[in-house]
Amino acid sequence: MMRREYLFVLVTLCLCILGIVAVYSVDPLRDEGFGPKSFFGRQILWNVVGWALFLLFRFFDFQWLFRRSWLWYLLSVFSLGAVLVFGESDETGAKRWLFSRSVQPSEFAKLALLFFLSSYLSTNRDELDFWSLLVKSAFFAAVPALLVFLQPDLGTVLVLGVLWFGALFLGGWHRRKLGLLLGLVASLSPLSWFIMKDYQRKRVLAFLDPWQDPLGSGYNVVQSQIAIGSGGVLGQGWLSGKQTQLRFLPARYTDFIFAAFCEQFGFVGGMVLLTLFILFFWIVLETAQRVRNLEERFFASLFGILFLFQVGINVGMNLGIAPVTGIPLPFVSYGGSSLLVHLAGAGMIARLIWRTEQEERERWI
Amino acid sequence: MWNERMEERIRQRVATALWIGIALFVVLSARLWYLSVLRGEWFRERSERNRVRVVFLEALRGNIYDRRGVCLAEDVPRFRLVFLVGSSEEELVMKRVREVLGRDITFSLRERAPGELVLLEDLSLEDVVKIEENSERLPGVLVEVYPARKYRDGEIAALLLGYVGKVSSEELKALGKMGYRNEDRIGKSGVESFYESLLRGEEGYRRVEVDALGRVVQVLDFRSPRFRYSLQLALDWELQKACYEALGRRNGVVLVGDPATGEILAFVSKPSFDPNLFSRGLSLKEWLDLLEQKSNPLLARPTQALYPPGSLFKILIALAALEEQVVTSRESFFCPGYLEYGDRKYLCWRRGGHGRVTFEEAIAESCNVVFYTLGLRLGPERIARYARMFGFGQDAHLDLPGVKTGFFPTPEWKREALKEAWYPGDTVNLSIGQGYLLVTPLEMYLFLCAVANRGKVYDPHVLWRVLDENGRVVREVKPSLRRTIALRSQTWDTVIRGMEKVVTQGTGFNCRGLPVKLAAKTGTAQNPHGKEHSWFGGFFPSDRPKFVFLVLVEHGGDGSGEAALVARKVVEWILQNRGV
Repeated sequence: MMRREYLFVLVTLCLCILGIVAVYSVDPLRDEGFGPKSFFGRQILWNVVGWALFLLFRFFDFQWLFRRSWLWYLLSVFSLGAVLVFGESDETGAKRWLFSRSVQPSEFAKLALLFFLSSYLSTNRDELDFWSLLVKSAFFAAVPALLVFLQPDLGTVLVLGVLWFGALFLGGWHRRKLGLLLGLVASLSPLSWFIMKDYQRKRVLAFLDPWQDPLGSGYNVVQSQIAIGSGGVLGQGWLSGKQTQLRFLPARYTDFIFAAFCEQFGFVGGMVLLTLFILFFWIVLETAQRVRNLEERFFASLFGILFLFQVGINVGMNLGIAPVTGIPLPFVSYGGSSLLVHLAGAGMIARLIWRTEQEERERWI
Repeated sequence: MWNERMEERIRQRVATALWIGIALFVVLSARLWYLSVLRGEWFRERSERNRVRVVFLEALRGNIYDRRGVCLAEDVPRFRLVFLVGSSEEELVMKRVREVLGRDITFSLRERAPGELVLLEDLSLEDVVKIEENSERLPGVLVEVYPARKYRDGEIAALLLGYVGKVSSEELKALGKMGYRNEDRIGKSGVESFYESLLRGEEGYRRVEVDALGRVVQVLDFRSPRFRYSLQLALDWELQKACYEALGRRNGVVLVGDPATGEILAFVSKPSFDPNLFSRGLSLKEWLDLLEQKSNPLLARPTQALYPPGSLFKILIALAALEEQVVTSRESFFCPGYLEYGDRKYLCWRRGGHGRVTFEEAIAESCNVVFYTLGLRLGPERIARYARMFGFGQDAHLDLPGVKTGFFPTPEWKREALKEAWYPGDTVNLSIGQGYLLVTPLEMYLFLCAVANRGKVYDPHVLWRVLDENGRVVREVKPSLRRTIALRSQTWDTVIRGMEKVVTQGTGFNCRGLPVKLAAKTGTAQNPHGKEHSWFGGFFPSDRPKFVFLVLVEHGGDGSGEAALVARKVVEWILQNRGV
């Protein structure tokens, strides 16, 4: 009965390998071979570190992480503050980086908030479904979200918001309260138009009708759809998609790597990726159901929701059915911070799988 | 508060999340299916359009040579800067081009094709080098070679050769089916226009793969533009130049040709213009300036301007009168300086009169009184019949566009158009080439050809040979006999003798003493707008004519003066440089 863990590791490994394959295919420096400067070289390096983390959390108990969740929370808030003060900007002018563009604290903030909310809600389990806890937890989620918003990184704000809402949902809050909350957010969201920056407004308009301005604000969406569409059923083959190789596709390493992948491997390749994603998600939630400990259950199911949301938004925007926000595709997109966070999380899930299986076996015996 | 119910609810929520995930999976898969399978073909086409750009290379035009192989018009390479819209910011690129070239430039910004903007034309080689060196900084900017028409000494034969320009929207509508494009050049006048179908070559193209910045990754397919035919004209360039220079500062016409073949050897029209201006693209102001000049330099005077023929027409009267035997070559006349007919007095140009003159002397002296008399003897119908026989008022069959025909008045015409009867006075005026009669210089020239050839008239032609790409002759224009005017040979002899006497003892004294037998006639065209136009036309050697010439000097006074002087220079040049 150790099969589920093997399957999980296999799925995760496949995702990582496909990620490296995809990054390699869009790497402008790949002709210079494997090296610390090439994108795929770094991606492999991050994978090595990431898998070390995976094993670490797989074989060592991580209960202490929950006990110190306040510390992680404060650290993340602190580092997000540091980004705003000392951070370095990227091409778009947003400040998202620390340590000469090697660390993206907003990625770690996701995990920190995840731990914090799991631990906070489960400690206050008796107050679940009370308005006061809702307001308090909202406050705690809002602090890092606001800091990320100031960077600005709308995508991560969205992810943090979904984490919080997901926590309420999984915490068993009454449907009416959640409905009210959703209604409130929905009715207030048009107001966000007024605090959005110009480029963000353009993105929203481009999402509504990308072909309006295919060379301007709709460019990303249009080019991404062209890339996916021209892949056809079987794709144009590895390293030979014109959209990708001639660099029509923007953000090929990160946000639009799914499109680059589909251009090369077609509908079949895309379906393989999607299937791996849904398998991953399914195993994580299945595990959450089996875990007896409440905070671990919160953790596992929230991690699943975090994963699902990011995949949904990223693939959705690649396919032109979700607005363009800078959310990376877990395991596949180029980028160390995101990869480390997700591999660490996956390691913990693997441990939970292993433990639940053992508990079940003990009970069986 | 914490209880089993709550525990169960959480379990359900996780299950719900799982279903949400599966629903999302279905939605994303469906969309992926739609994009890559259902609409894959469409998107592949988009991708193809993204990366493949077809650049059409303008067709080359054939060269135009003179009869001795001098190149009169050819295509030379020029460079222009094209910007592929969308590959980067237009403003930024223009700023950078200014920086690279190191000076302030006004961009033409003409949209040549969707997504292709012409920034600059006619770049110097120096600028091209600068742009190429900085191509990294100028994404989407391409240097393109294009052909431009260059004419040798533009003004000298502009109204014969014509000029080329961008095809206009009306022309495009009419010629769309023949594969003309928006930016193509087309012959607008002269030989360039008449032989457009021969001169126009085939366009080429370059299919290139470009990256997102519009940089050429590789050339997929290439066909170089080419021309198909070159033209060799009957024109003698050096003679043309000599004729142009002989006119000096005067405006007017010089035509020289070979009566035995119909070849046009010189075709001068002054004032002229520089067709090279049109090649580099004329500004609106320059164009309007050309149009508004009073002297009208765009008018091809030999074929498009109408003048009264003046005394040149007396030759026709003389021929008709002899042939109709209303006069004999031995008859003599008395000119008192005027002719009284009815209750009116018609003056001779010499107030004191010519006294007693023979028929041939009357031609030599261009005596009006004699020709009044002959005209009245013939009557307008007979004059009109002879005029028709010689081709007046009829298509000249010259291979140039926009050739006009003159106007020959008849009693019927006057009755219908002016509701007036034809008076003897009209006949009198007609007899000396005045009144309603109008001719083009070409018609007068053809008339002289007919006389020189004793009635055999060949179609005049500008083109001599058509050459293919390799310079092989694929077609040669052969003399084509238009009409034979059968007059008695004494008639021709007498008139030609009279024309010889014009030079040796008559009004053509300015051409006296040339080492060749010259037959010619002076003419003075009355001009209501100012000084008379001066005609002088003839042929030599008069016994076996090899050259026919016609000179018209606008406002040159009487024909014995300006026009004869110009003709003398032309004849002298021919005798010296070509021989007879």
